[in-house]
Amino acid sequence: MGIEVRGVTKRFGKFAALEEINLEVPTGELVALVGPSGSGKTTLLRIIAGLEAADGGTILFHGEDATERSPRDRNVGFVFQHYALFRHMTVFENIAFGLRVRPRRERPPEADIRRRVAELLHLVQLDWVAARYPPQLSGGQRQRVALARALATEPGVLLLDEPFGALDAKVRLELRRWLRSLHNELHVTSLFVTHDQEEALEVADKVVVMNKGKIEQVGTPEEVYDHPANPFVYQFLGSVNLFHGRVHQGEAQIGALNVAVPQHAGAQDMPAVGYARPHDLDVASTSQDGRATEAVIAHVRAVGPVVRLELTGVETGAPLEAEVTRERFRELGLKVGDSVFVTPRNLQVFVGDYAI
Amino acid sequence: MSQETILRSAQVTDARFARSDPPVARWLLIALALLFVGVFLVLPLVAVFAAGLAKGVGAYWAAISDPDAWSAIKLTLLAAAIAVPLNTVFGVAAAWAVTKFDFRGKQLLITLIDLPFAVSPVISGLIFVLLFGSRGIFGPWLIAHSIRILFALPGIILATTFVTFPFVARTLIPLMQAQGMEEEEAAMVLGANGWQIFRRVTLPNIKWGLLYGIILCNARAMGEFGAVSVVSGHIRGLTNTMSLHVEILYNEYQFAGAFAVASLLVLLALVTLVVKCVAEWQQQRLMTVVDEPADEEGT
Repeated sequence: MGIEVRGVTKRFGKFAALEEINLEVPTGELVALVGPSGSGKTTLLRIIAGLEAADGGTILFHGEDATERSPRDRNVGFVFQHYALFRHMTVFENIAFGLRVRPRRERPPEADIRRRVAELLHLVQLDWVAARYPPQLSGGQRQRVALARALATEPGVLLLDEPFGALDAKVRLELRRWLRSLHNELHVTSLFVTHDQEEALEVADKVVVMNKGKIEQVGTPEEVYDHPANPFVYQFLGSVNLFHGRVHQGEAQIGALNVAVPQHAGAQDMPAVGYARPHDLDVASTSQDGRATEAVIAHVRAVGPVVRLELTGVETGAPLEAEVTRERFRELGLKVGDSVFVTPRNLQVFVGDYAI
Repeated sequence: MSQETILRSAQVTDARFARSDPPVARWLLIALALLFVGVFLVLPLVAVFAAGLAKGVGAYWAAISDPDAWSAIKLTLLAAAIAVPLNTVFGVAAAWAVTKFDFRGKQLLITLIDLPFAVSPVISGLIFVLLFGSRGIFGPWLIAHSIRILFALPGIILATTFVTFPFVARTLIPLMQAQGMEEEEAAMVLGANGWQIFRRVTLPNIKWGLLYGIILCNARAMGEFGAVSVVSGHIRGLTNTMSLHVEILYNEYQFAGAFAVASLLVLLALVTLVVKCVAEWQQQRLMTVVDEPADEEGT
């Protein structure tokens, strides 16, 4: 079952939480809604679930208008950030709930319910907690129970609201890989909200970047990471270095650096900003062609597979961040206070003054 | 024991004392508290039973089994049996509405719920006199249709209901606010209808709080004096509740009888307290967030 969102708008008083949102989640895909807090991603998810009413627009499930349908008739599974497990019920009863509340003629017989719950517990690898109560489980276990409960009714769509938001870093990492493999197994159309861009890029087939109630870009993780539509997406999806300059007739002049920007062929001496990821900065101890930016090393972090250098531009005084391999770092023999020359390898130039 | 260990244990003892008040102050405070509890709570309690039994068990029994006393007991129980369920239903409905929905006038509703707490019970009684008395707003109409509200059972029930109106709602609102509505939302998405959500999710979560509210409501319903006194008319054997009966006996210098009936009310209060303690303890046990056990992720 695919989801289609058409022109959905939502206001809370004067605050526009969502403005004319259009989005399609194709059947069987795992899509991440990512954005800073207050960007409207959770509101959108709740509107799709029917827990919140939109002020305008329509929600379609499988091509059918579901805007006026009650949440109980939408056949969605919802996973809450804080699990929302029924605290007075055992894990078994939590998972069985969706089956037990069905009208009598649709309710499966007790034996089927037991079988289904056992299957789901096996699926989330928690066979041994059936008789426990939610407060007796760890956060990660609770969220897996919540997922099993959401899957019990065989929903056409699975909606997850910051599912790993309340867990600590290590469990988070494990659970999101597990979610990915679970999705590969079940192929239920899933939409999950997160503020963690890394999580979105790692887990999702498609990433929807939201900001201030609008969708900034939709694409595969590679697309949004390598070809961000605008400075916001670029900034949001990872660390970034800014180089200020000007663009004139398809050529950007940034410091001593000349970059061809054919997409801005019409620009007449416009202010522009070049963006480069830390791993896209070349660091050298000498300047070969006199076009590199000189910077001083302010801090070295040599933990992990790459060495991170915090630099200060000599001319601009602006902070820069570069990542080099350990070999390169040893080769250059760098230490704090050294002067280096930095050349951006893969500069994305956006015309105009973007205040970020 | 080495020198160092001795030194450290001395420090530990010091630290323990540093965190508490000097012994004299502690004992003084405890003694004061005990004295206060003794004089204002235990002594009157004992005095009630002592005075009730002053003329022997026979007189005590006679006072209680007196037809007027018996009718007062029945009336009190009847008024409570009607007022408490009414306010339970109302309280749950109001708490549910206030905590689970957003609507215009919500703050006004919360304020109105508190109204019976804010006005004196005598005024509460007078309100009904103004409404249903012979010179009240509905008085002439009621007389024309020969419906009796004041100085009759309906008046007593109305006054009791009004006075005990806030208890259930007031105990439930903070509890339900703290619990939020995520569980209800989860149940709704899973396909439960309104009644199923209430019956299977909300009610089990609030049952101890609800019981606590009902107990408080019941205690007040049985013990109410002021409002009931205004609307009852003190007709012996007809519109006298227990607390009114106690007053009448007392005014007639039948001290032993008055205290005998009063002791029944005290007994009711004691039972209420015990049940209340159990309910409170249960509720607290459920409200306590259990410490998260260490993650054992076997994935």
